[in-house]
Amino acid sequence: MSNISEALYNMRFMDDLARRNTLVHRLHPLAKLASTLAFLAAVVSVERYEISGLLPFFFYPVIVFALAELPIKPMVKRILMVEPFIIGIGILNPLFDQHIVMLGGVAVSRGWITFLSIFIKCGLTVAAALILLATTGMDRLASALRMLGIPKLFVLQLTLTYRYISVLLEEVGRILNAYALRAPGQKGIHWKSWGSLAGQLILRTFERAQSVYGAMCLRGFDGEYRTGDGQRFCTTDLAYMAVWVMFFIIVRFVDIPGLLGLVVTGGIK
Amino acid sequence: MSHHKLEVRELHFAYPDRHKAVNGISFSARHGESIGIIGANGAGKSTLLLLLMGILLPQKGMILVGDVEVTKKTLPMIRERMGMVFQNPDDQLFMTTVYEDVAFGPRNYKLSEKEVEARVMTALDHVGITHLKDRAPFRLSGGEKRAAAIAAVLSMQPDILIMDEPSAGLDPKSRRRMMGLLQSFEHTKLITSHDLDMIYDLCERTIVVKGGEIAADGPTVEILADEALMDACGLELPFALQNCPVCGSKAMPQQHQHSKK
Repeated sequence: MSNISEALYNMRFMDDLARRNTLVHRLHPLAKLASTLAFLAAVVSVERYEISGLLPFFFYPVIVFALAELPIKPMVKRILMVEPFIIGIGILNPLFDQHIVMLGGVAVSRGWITFLSIFIKCGLTVAAALILLATTGMDRLASALRMLGIPKLFVLQLTLTYRYISVLLEEVGRILNAYALRAPGQKGIHWKSWGSLAGQLILRTFERAQSVYGAMCLRGFDGEYRTGDGQRFCTTDLAYMAVWVMFFIIVRFVDIPGLLGLVVTGGIK
Repeated sequence: MSHHKLEVRELHFAYPDRHKAVNGISFSARHGESIGIIGANGAGKSTLLLLLMGILLPQKGMILVGDVEVTKKTLPMIRERMGMVFQNPDDQLFMTTVYEDVAFGPRNYKLSEKEVEARVMTALDHVGITHLKDRAPFRLSGGEKRAAAIAAVLSMQPDILIMDEPSAGLDPKSRRRMMGLLQSFEHTKLITSHDLDMIYDLCERTIVVKGGEIAADGPTVEILADEALMDACGLELPFALQNCPVCGSKAMPQQHQHSKK
């Protein structure tokens, strides 16, 4: 149960952050969504052997973190939580790709370089997604997705999942408690009960879904998810978006660390 | 105003497993009337409410709200006039903040954002939770959730309020507050509950449902005091009408002195 309540606390934490009032929070959700998408596209498209090309992208999370006054420690903790999965995916690279390259006088296998690049890309992309959520909130994000023309079915699915994940977690917690109380001295759940527990949960989910849908219909729900007229897209939003997109394009196609290196070593005269 | 009137004629409904949940129920409610619907578990109360709101459609019989029959076609209009508060507020609070949730209904009726805001703030003010408007529903206490669910219905400005177990799961003080709130409403009210003391305080008329049929319909003071009827329908007298728990005398403790203290 403790990890379930912790998960709930984590979700609430992001919601609380989204309700702050800073420069970044006040921006139009569409501007933030577009910048984030541009950032993701730029980061993901960087060559897998090119680590130096990824470094300038750190400017984005660092600057937005500062502007949005996000707490660094809990956010970094959440980013690191995802990294083990990435280690699982990338850990075999050093074994498969043992081609040796020289890096500043040190011999390194190319596998390690790709592994490191995957690791950094993951950190950057997860940070961008978390920043978007922590500065926008799910409701406004959903309205931005609708403005982009994402079908209402997907958007609705997303927002309802987000809302009901807490109810589902509580439900799971109750089932697990009920099980544990009548199965003393057992670690975890016996595999024989997996089926019926999952079945129970799915039946309860159906029931819950039915009543939620009923409640929505009673208040005039017709399939369209309305979050109000929302704010107008103004020049500040456009400027924010344009500056970041320009920055990503420049960083992606111009080797800034390389140029800096040349300036320092006097390569450019 | 005729549209505050609610009329139910010979209602029949059976579930797909052929269980007959509602079996020929008829009654009508006048404007501003407060009616309690009571009955044992499985008597058909909840099914009746779902039929009234058009979530289920009857196999036989009809429901008239004002002069309009509840059919698939008239549902949007009917649901603007009748608001239902669910037993479990979690079923009803599906948006991420209280404000968004209360605004959900008015927005679906395509009101301007200014009008939506006015309605939301009035509704929140009415139930006394304006300070909670930016909170997430899962962060509220049971009483606050119930108040938010009521506000969500009030923002639609219905003429008729339907409530399923409004006092369930509330602590005594929250229950009392909620009852005060309901008492302040001038809407036509239909309240189902096992909390017979609440029905006794809030409703002037009571309908007793048993096995999908109406077992009794009349003034609350007479129906709830009828021990034989209550017993036959799987119910009991309200605590307020039961014997003194200390000495067993017919009057309540505050009205008489006990011989031993």
